[in-house]
Amino acid sequence: MTDTDKRVIRLDNVSKSFGNFQALKGVSFDINHGQKVVVCGPSGSGKSTMIRCINRLEEHDGGSITVNGVELTDDMANILAVRREVGMVFQQFNLFPHLTVLDNLTLGPMRSRGADKQQAQGTAMEYLERVRIPDQANKYPSQLSGGQQQRVAIARSLCMKPKIMLFDEPTSALDPEMIKEVLDVMIELAEEGMTMIVVTHEMGFAKTVADTMIFMDHGEIVEVAPPSEFFSSPRSERTQLFLSQILSH
Amino acid sequence: MSVNRKALFRYWKVSQQSRVVATLQYLVFMASLVWVVVHGANQMGYQWQWYNIPEYFYKVFEGEIYPGRLIKGLGVTVDLTLWCVGFTLLTGLITALLRMSDSISGRWLSTIYLELVRNTPLLVQLYLFYFVFSPIFGIDRFWTGVICLTFYEGSFVAEIIRSGVQSVERGQWEAGDSIGLTRWDNYRYIVIPQAIPIMLPPLTGQIINLIKHSSIVSVIAVADLTTEGRNIIADTFMSFEIWFTVAGIYLVLTLSLSMFVTWLENRTRVRT
Amino acid sequence: MIRKNKKPRLNWIDFAVISSVVGFLIFVVLRVDSVLNYSWNWNHVFPFVMYLDEDTGQWVSNLLLEGLIITLRLAVYGIIISAVIGVVMGLCRISSNLFLRMVARSYVELVRNTPPLVFIFIFYFFLSTQLMPLLGIDELARSDSPAVKTMIWILCGDPILFSNFVSGLICLSIFEGAYITEIVRAGIQSIPRGQWEAGRAIGLSRIDVMRYVILPQAVSKIAPPLANQFITLIKDSSIVSLISIQELTFMAVEVGVSTSRIFEVWILVAVMYFVICYSCVLFFNWLERRAARSKR
Ligand SMILES: Nc1ncnc2c1ncn2[C@@H]1O[C@H](COP(=O)(O)OP(=O)(O)O)[C@@H](O)[C@H]1O
Ligand SMILES: [Mg+2]
Repeated sequence: MTDTDKRVIRLDNVSKSFGNFQALKGVSFDINHGQKVVVCGPSGSGKSTMIRCINRLEEHDGGSITVNGVELTDDMANILAVRREVGMVFQQFNLFPHLTVLDNLTLGPMRSRGADKQQAQGTAMEYLERVRIPDQANKYPSQLSGGQQQRVAIARSLCMKPKIMLFDEPTSALDPEMIKEVLDVMIELAEEGMTMIVVTHEMGFAKTVADTMIFMDHGEIVEVAPPSEFFSSPRSERTQLFLSQILSH
Repeated sequence: MSVNRKALFRYWKVSQQSRVVATLQYLVFMASLVWVVVHGANQMGYQWQWYNIPEYFYKVFEGEIYPGRLIKGLGVTVDLTLWCVGFTLLTGLITALLRMSDSISGRWLSTIYLELVRNTPLLVQLYLFYFVFSPIFGIDRFWTGVICLTFYEGSFVAEIIRSGVQSVERGQWEAGDSIGLTRWDNYRYIVIPQAIPIMLPPLTGQIINLIKHSSIVSVIAVADLTTEGRNIIADTFMSFEIWFTVAGIYLVLTLSLSMFVTWLENRTRVRT
Repeated sequence: MIRKNKKPRLNWIDFAVISSVVGFLIFVVLRVDSVLNYSWNWNHVFPFVMYLDEDTGQWVSNLLLEGLIITLRLAVYGIIISAVIGVVMGLCRISSNLFLRMVARSYVELVRNTPPLVFIFIFYFFLSTQLMPLLGIDELARSDSPAVKTMIWILCGDPILFSNFVSGLICLSIFEGAYITEIVRAGIQSIPRGQWEAGRAIGLSRIDVMRYVILPQAVSKIAPPLANQFITLIKDSSIVSLISIQELTFMAVEVGVSTSRIFEVWILVAVMYFVICYSCVLFFNWLERRAARSKR
């Protein structure tokens, strides 16, 4: 592989406004194949907006985003192609409450990858085993605990065989005792070499998994550093302040 | 969270260009609808007499301006509506209070009233009032209309008031109790101030309904806007012109109130 | 009702309520008996619902029952047509296409802001003079084909009144359609936005998200207000009596005029409407409770 081939995501001077409010002010970075990036920053700093732009749940209005060599434009076919390569896990799980766990997992592969039912169910069971809840396959989401729901949501994304996984605060809607079971699944995924962008405030997780830390504030990237540097000697004052607040408890 | 709470589909973005295109499409579409109506009417030899319409708004006689028939009708409609608004609020309030009271017969009476109104057509209620109650009580047409509409709309207002009061959380009552307020003080200082902003938009909506439903009194020949319209048509056969004018007048009345409601809703949403 | 801890009991309110109700009733009875001198004769009115034919020994339906059947036909066909209109317009209402949104919005606002009476009059005039001839409904009704004739008889009653029935039905459906449009819109919009996003994130197209994720969930939100709208439709159908559709209210006016048993006729007809509507209410409540119980 050459260097450019390894680059799976590239954000170049991306900006995004909601009305008069500028949520992203010229964000740029590259992510290589297999890289694990943890994004942190205060609430409202634009973390969600940034990763939502990457699979175009939001449309950026300046700069360019390239995913897997495809630039995100209004072209619907492009967007669908990109979304098939990019999995997304939400803070609120967003499981489909009217479908069983298994149906939640097979809907995507069947409808957008054209998989047949048996094949899709096979894959689904495989991933349910990986997230350690194969026995819940025929239950409805409302019958599961929060931690189990989030693991189903992760499995749902994995069923699409994505090349990149995006996580938007996957554990912040969970009770403390359930956080670990979700993080463990994510750590395993990272060990298998998945390219990941994770928005989280779980600093223990960040230290174990991340090879790059990104700190955002007010719609800008303030600091990019490997975790060793990031935690021991943050350069910017804002990062220091943020870390002191978040690590103090 | 802030993102998730926003309504689905709120976020369709419309570019300036597509806005212009859509507006043009819309204008063409509406114009063709109008054309179809006009063309159809012309095909059957309909004589358009728009120039005759102004005289039904106002007449000038010996230098003085007199209201035309439509304006007189509008006056009756407004008059009727205003009386009804007052009585309806009163009926609604009493019914809601009875319904929320701890009196057995009060609850029964209000429930029977609500079910009766909800499960019979307004028109049948009007006939009942006109043919049965007004001879018994010796009431004239106008007041029969007022009473019938009050009877009908009062049930909706009662439900608005009740759900407004009940939408104030239980915790608020309990907090009031805990600082030793009496039941009445609880209502007055805690519940009603919170319930009123919630009730205001649906109540205004109900006034809009009242204006619309008031047209039904034309069936018993109260001289309201609709009756005047029907009478003019009977005299002149200008069906299209008169009906469109009448509908237009109602639209102006109701749409302006509608906008008021939207404004109210936006305002209360900001405050909460 | 708010304070569930309080048990209902008799108190001064009951005294006020009961004495005013009793007073009211006594006053009514006195007025009807002595002042108006009205003599009740229910036997004169019931045969207009149905009567026993002496010759054949069979029960025969009469004007009021026939009117009721037309009312029910209007309601059942009306809810179907207006639900179709409502779903189409409701989807337009939330479409990404601004033109469709504008059209749907205009439709809803126009209908909801004109009085039902005025709407029906305008529309009926337009319909009967222009649209009906265009659709060829009259020809269909005058058709000689026995198959068509029986179809009309079974579905809509007397072919002579067919075109009249169809115009009433269309008026009513377009009117109610606007309300159902809003029900559908609200139902779809009540589904949290995260559902939409999750669907898009696993690569479903917009139509697939709608079909497999949003609509199945929206249906359970739409069903109760739609059932309610059916009852409203039964009631609103009385308005088309004013454009001479021969449903229950129209027949009541006729019978009232011809027998001059006005009190009895209107009380009877009000009771008929009440029984129909209230049984629908009970039925829908039962369905809803059953659905809630079978839900996980
Ligand atoms: N759909 C939206 N409409 C308006 N403002 C929004 C919307 N989404 C996000 N924002 C605003 O953009 C800013 C960044 O939001 P977000 O990316 O969610 O921050 P974070 O995830 O870092 O907490 C916030 O101030 C938020 O209020
Ligand atoms: Mg966020």
